[in-house]
Amino acid sequence: MEKENTFDPDLVHEIFKLVWKRKAAERGKNELAENIEDEVGASSSKRIRPTFVEYVPRTMSYPSHVCVSVLMIKANANALKLSSELLRVFVAEAIQRAATIAEAEGSVKIEATHLERILPQLLLDF
Amino acid sequence: MATSLAAMTARRATTFTHFPFSSLTSQAVSIQLDRPVSRASFAIGKCDMLNNCPTMEDLDGGMASDVEREEEEAVTDLLRDRFRLCTISIAEGEAKQCGMEVSQPIITCISDLAFKFAEQLSKDLELFAQHAGRKSVNMEDVILSAHRNDHLAASLRSFCNDLKTKEPNLERKRKKNPRREGRVAPDLLRTPDT
Repeated sequence: MEKENTFDPDLVHEIFKLVWKRKAAERGKNELAENIEDEVGASSSKRIRPTFVEYVPRTMSYPSHVCVSVLMIKANANALKLSSELLRVFVAEAIQRAATIAEAEGSVKIEATHLERILPQLLLDF
Repeated sequence: MATSLAAMTARRATTFTHFPFSSLTSQAVSIQLDRPVSRASFAIGKCDMLNNCPTMEDLDGGMASDVEREEEEAVTDLLRDRFRLCTISIAEGEAKQCGMEVSQPIITCISDLAFKFAEQLSKDLELFAQHAGRKSVNMEDVILSAHRNDHLAASLRSFCNDLKTKEPNLERKRKKNPRREGRVAPDLLRTPDT
């Protein structure tokens, strides 16, 4: 194949954004819960914060003026290219190592057993 | 199993070629934005418009969060399929170089592994960037994420230098890569013995 295969940096970016969004949303929820607590509960409630936070979202109504802003991290273009290269190397390594094992066993097709053999070391290496 | 999977991916491949990837994603986003704005922005984290106040329904658990979770899963599945397409092309190219064939379930398996790896990588990168007090991830973070493996880090660093020096013609340096990776592979294979 003449065209060089690699992961599309945009695709990688979207996967990253998805994970970051998920984390940002979580952070936002926690932050909101804390804000509420600061407003509603007086200083005495701060001592029992961990348990209190858990209950707030279900039992209390929120004052509408409480806002949370959550910053989501960005990624620069070269970092994304480098990440897609890292992922490409991961896949290439998996195939090449499995191919070595398959070759040693005299097989022309890479099967599950070959992947199983190389998997532990592959995961340790990345 | 293998044939049906191949047929499935082939069908997907044809649908994908009709739309460029970006149009697919914009479709997905527009579907989600049909919902009330405050909730959509909170759930999908359109965090550029940050100052939306989540209303009570957003946070009271129950149905709303179920819907959100389902939609998030749909987006994840879409991304996973696109990721699999890329993996298939890489894996088959690589296998062709070795003169081997790869069975489809194996590629699927490797693709899922790589997807998990990507998710983990994104968490690492975010933490590294935050630790450095930056608001964006840069190349150093990516190299740092590979620091456990010297060969890998070195390979990434040289790729990084290539990116820096040859900014204008991006396509040429990608072409060089497979040969370099071919050199790295035997080194990595030897590590278990030591």
